[in-house]
Amino acid sequence: MAKKEKIICVGCPMGCEVTLVINEKKEVEKVSGNKCKEGHKYAIEEYKNPVRILTATVLTQDSSQPLLPVRTDSPILKTKLKKAMQVLVKVRAKPPLKTGDILIPNILGTGADLVTSSNLLS
Amino acid sequence: MQQEVDVAVIGAGPAGLAAAIKAKEAGAENVVVLERAESLGGLLDQCVHNGFGLLYFGEDLSGPEYRDRFIEKAMDLKVDAEVESMILELSKKREIKVASNKKGYFSLKPKSIVLAMGCRERTRFNIGIPGSRPTGIYTAGQAQRFVNMEGFIPGKKIIILGSGDIGMIMARRLTLEGAKVGAVVEILPYIGGLIRNEVQCVHDFDIPLFLRHTVSNIHGFPRIEGVTISAVDENINPIPGTQREIDCDTLLLSVGLIPENELSLMAGVELDPLVGGAIVDEARQTSVPGIFAGGNVVHVHDLVDNVSWESEIAGASAAAYAKGEKMPSRKIEVTPGKNIRYIVPQFISGEKDVTFYMRVKEPDELVRVKMDDIVIRKSEMAVKPSSMLKIDVPASILRNIKKRKATVDCVRIKEK
Amino acid sequence: MGICETEVLIIGGGVLGAATARELSKYKVDVTLVEKEVDVCCGSSKANVGMVNQGEDCLEYRPEYHRSKLVWDSMRMMEPLCQELEVPFKISGGIGIFSNDAQRSKFVKMDSKAAKVRKMGYDWVGPQEWIDQDTLRKMEPNITRDTIGGLLEPHAAVVDPMKLTIALAENATENGVHMILGTEVEDISHGVEGFEVRTNNGSIKTRFIVNAAGIYIDKIAAMVNADDFVLYPVKGYLAICDKKLGGLINHAIYRIPLMPGELNVVLPTVDGNLMFGITLLEARKGDLSSTKKMQDKALANVQGLLPDIKGSDVIKYFTGFMMMQNFELGWHECVVDASKRVPRFINVSIGYPGISAAPAAAKEVVELLVKEGLKLKENSKFNPKRKAIPDFSEFSDKEKDQLIAQDPRYAHVVCRCETVTEGEIVEAIKRGATTVDGVKHRVRAGMGRCQSGFCRPRVIKILARELEIPEEEITMKGPGSRELLYKNKELLKGGE
Repeated sequence: MAKKEKIICVGCPMGCEVTLVINEKKEVEKVSGNKCKEGHKYAIEEYKNPVRILTATVLTQDSSQPLLPVRTDSPILKTKLKKAMQVLVKVRAKPPLKTGDILIPNILGTGADLVTSSNLLS
Repeated sequence: MQQEVDVAVIGAGPAGLAAAIKAKEAGAENVVVLERAESLGGLLDQCVHNGFGLLYFGEDLSGPEYRDRFIEKAMDLKVDAEVESMILELSKKREIKVASNKKGYFSLKPKSIVLAMGCRERTRFNIGIPGSRPTGIYTAGQAQRFVNMEGFIPGKKIIILGSGDIGMIMARRLTLEGAKVGAVVEILPYIGGLIRNEVQCVHDFDIPLFLRHTVSNIHGFPRIEGVTISAVDENINPIPGTQREIDCDTLLLSVGLIPENELSLMAGVELDPLVGGAIVDEARQTSVPGIFAGGNVVHVHDLVDNVSWESEIAGASAAAYAKGEKMPSRKIEVTPGKNIRYIVPQFISGEKDVTFYMRVKEPDELVRVKMDDIVIRKSEMAVKPSSMLKIDVPASILRNIKKRKATVDCVRIKEK
Repeated sequence: MGICETEVLIIGGGVLGAATARELSKYKVDVTLVEKEVDVCCGSSKANVGMVNQGEDCLEYRPEYHRSKLVWDSMRMMEPLCQELEVPFKISGGIGIFSNDAQRSKFVKMDSKAAKVRKMGYDWVGPQEWIDQDTLRKMEPNITRDTIGGLLEPHAAVVDPMKLTIALAENATENGVHMILGTEVEDISHGVEGFEVRTNNGSIKTRFIVNAAGIYIDKIAAMVNADDFVLYPVKGYLAICDKKLGGLINHAIYRIPLMPGELNVVLPTVDGNLMFGITLLEARKGDLSSTKKMQDKALANVQGLLPDIKGSDVIKYFTGFMMMQNFELGWHECVVDASKRVPRFINVSIGYPGISAAPAAAKEVVELLVKEGLKLKENSKFNPKRKAIPDFSEFSDKEKDQLIAQDPRYAHVVCRCETVTEGEIVEAIKRGATTVDGVKHRVRAGMGRCQSGFCRPRVIKILARELEIPEEEITMKGPGSRELLYKNKELLKGGE
């Protein structure tokens, strides 16, 4: 049975609510509600692969700065964001660290590395 | 520190850093940037989220990453940066008095000045939320500092009033940090920030979004225990009978930003009442000769990339002024017309290419923008007050404006 | 605390308690002040309009009222007192304005009453000069055009009620008064020799009690059956505007209200803000919340005086209570009396106008204590002077240099709206501030237009550092008001 999926396009301020009709094989059968081609493309991509960059902070050790900003170096599935936070809890960043240094390689098997997004001085 | 200073930049946020770098690149020898906080970068320090630099660098950077690129460049160019330096006085004659944690109390008289003080957040009192006055009510930016820099989570049951970008971003941050965001409440029929943030910060985490609602009462003392939210009518007054009470230990406010122009006023800089920022020309010179302004102190932007670009204009002009170059004339006054709330710059010479920044009053679709009846943007799918419009207009068009005053309108394409 | 003994126990650290404590510290007598909040000045004295005058009312200037005399005497005592204690005080003058003859006739009545008071020797009291429409417009160009003239009260003054209360308490402490904060009186029993006062922190034995418990005066008095008075709480709503508007008026501007104590005034505060407000009849004691109705009414009222004020100019609003008698019938008298039923027990409450009457009321409380049998010998070591915390923003360039040379922390501006430095904040903490509000009340950090948006995290840090406690233990105003409830990542442990 076909299923409907609603996706808000973030391409422009209009924020079209795009409706996708999904068949049993989880393929997109129909796209409607978008007002431009970009919306069509975005909605399909967002349905197939809803990924986000995770940005957060981790606790530090031996630094006057209590927290260090971190991010994934590439987007991960949005369903994994909360799980990734559970992994971050255990991290204690120790100086010196430079922006882009890897703290957790291949976090949760997503293929993305968790990297620092700022320097950490001692 | 009575040294020769060509350009003094007030504020080392994204605007100030960009202005200082550009001033240096444009040939100013001694450029000093004065920052009241403990470090350079302004609010970028606490904006650990991504989405910065998509336009400027073509990369998706976090706030600190975006910041560091500018700081590194400023350091390479030997911009003189002073932190924990608060300006207490600024005169029309460009005399600056500074209280500095490291250097004590000193004065400066630079050849030109760039105002880059940014903006501050509206408080609960500015918007008049009734109820008790407990602790646990923070502006979204203040909470962002606690969560992302100081190492504290203000509470675990959060309500957010206002759907500005910082508010929505804090909804996501606090959810990821394990707090429960009970609601994002917006008084208007549409969100105040970017669609991207609505989707990725609010909908992604199934946070209830109440449009056309407001917080009509605050309960609990001395710590907040709950709020009443109510639907509002078209005059944005709460509708009796629609109240519902929600428990919370923290209320965050993301209800608008105000350009921080106290120093500008001290120097006699004329402000645009529609914007709250200085009236500027295409060089970003204010009404006071030799004083320039860029970024959120002129008007509140939604993207930092635009803040940087705009401030670069101010920085380059300040360098030119310091070298004694001629400034553009204020030949044409540009004023907002149909469905335009404000437009920057307010004055142009008509002789050079100009990038205009503007906001609409009401959301609309399939529109075009005209200046003095000349089309400057052929078509725009959708416009919203929360999304700034940026339109480059070449000098070849501006030269055709013969009047002293040019009105900018945003109208439907299909209208005659 | 266990058990402590004292000769005189003052209950309440508001302006009356603090003024009484300071007055008693001029004598060699063992005095203790107990306050339920963790700081002094947390009740009505905080939420106060700060005007020093009789009040803007045709029912005022009546010699038969006890409180009238207290105000007239206090008006002359206030300026030297503020000088001794280095508390901001400014003679702003007040102008009552009127729009028609009916309104003018009320002022005529008030003027003739005030003239009689002056004949009694109180030359500094009341309105004294009629102003025609043109002169009024010259003196106050921004007020409503809807006036036909005004009546000028040249001696009306403004004071910072918080700084005054805190300074009185500080000076009293320096002169030997014992302050016990965060301690609530729960019960009082009395024997032949004196009282035993039970608190949440132990008990206090005392021979004399001064009940200056503000809006809880009746509750405290009732503990020993000394409640031989009737007072009702009346709520006031006050709003403060951005300093940008400070120059709009030069005097306090008011209209004659319908009820005594009913506010219809806008005034320049000592700090250069504008303040306006209203009083309300319907009020539940202790309910400090405001309603949209109050906010709208106050704004509408002030726009009738100063049309340029907008809602968005308001940077802060708050409410407070005063204890009044027969407010609804149109008159009010204070309570500054020894209890008729219980010996050595003094009740003191001014209600309206509270701050204005405090110095004389404190003197009178001391006289009442003597009448009740308290023996007083002069304290030759009494030092009437108290140094204020340096106000960096008010200093000249040279003074700023000197201050920074002594302590570089005065060059570190923490509150940017009010230009409050780290040096001032540290000094406030040294002098007893333990909370964010405590710092704010002493040095104004967080009182400006951004309402601590910028400085609150920094003030919390400085408090934690100076008090040597973790940041998450810092409160706004004592137990139950912690600012930061959790540490980063604390909520994720053991989570999903």
